Amino acid sequence: MKLRELFVPSAIKLDLAAETKDEALRELVSCMGLDEKSEGILYKMLKRRENLGSTGIGRGIAIPHCRSLVVTRLRVAFGRKLSGLDFKAIDEKPVRYVFLIVAPPLEVSNQYLPVLGKIAQFGKEADVPESLAEISSPEQFIELLDAKDL
Amino acid sequence: MHQQLELLLQIQDLRMQRRGLTDGTLTDLETDVFDIKVEDAIRSLDEKVEELAGELTRRIRERYCRIADKAPRVVAPVINGICYGCFVAVSTARASEADRNLRVESCEYCGCFLYHVA
Repeated sequence: MKLRELFVPSAIKLDLAAETKDEALRELVSCMGLDEKSEGILYKMLKRRENLGSTGIGRGIAIPHCRSLVVTRLRVAFGRKLSGLDFKAIDEKPVRYVFLIVAPPLEVSNQYLPVLGKIAQFGKEADVPESLAEISSPEQFIELLDAKDL
Repeated sequence: MHQQLELLLQIQDLRMQRRGLTDGTLTDLETDVFDIKVEDAIRSLDEKVEELAGELTRRIRERYCRIADKAPRVVAPVINGICYGCFVAVSTARASEADRNLRVESCEYCGCFLYHVA
């Protein structure tokens, strides 16, 4: 499956209201269409994963991720905060692009790891941060993935 | 959602995270891309699981320990009336109740605690 097929426009936030890492996680979790309790559990899991080590991989990109029982299928979201968020990233620079990935413990298609790997690879491409800064609509975000054949 | 079930869900999610680090499925990505120190992460996850398990009531903790010692999964999702711990249908009455996550119940076949997914 292509990455672009996993992203829905409602889960692509090009102007996050969040001012902190925690707020960004909450904002992206709220795109998942879960009930309040499930959102809370998912947020806690993502926070606990962050506590093990930041998912900020450098160059302004973070990929918070976890498996949780509260989702029934692989879900992804993208958030952009051009002014930057303190994510305690590997390169200690602010994070401007956040890719959220959550998956259930059991997946028939077992996509979680490949998707995590593809997004990590995408984030390492030299032109990606600049391209992500320039897009102005969720559709352009999808087009960017399409252009990368992802 | 029952508060004890919420704790069990958190414990299960942490156990899954730990499993991903120990069975090798997630280890390479976590170390190479995210620079995670696996041993430290496992220790931290174990401590958190222990802490959350300590918040379970005695009766539920005893059941939890019995299951946790034998199987990787202590909580199984119920999707469309099927327990995903053993893939056996749970009773129709249980599966259709609106308040089904408001109490802690177990699968009568595999013993897993049940979490009804909407």
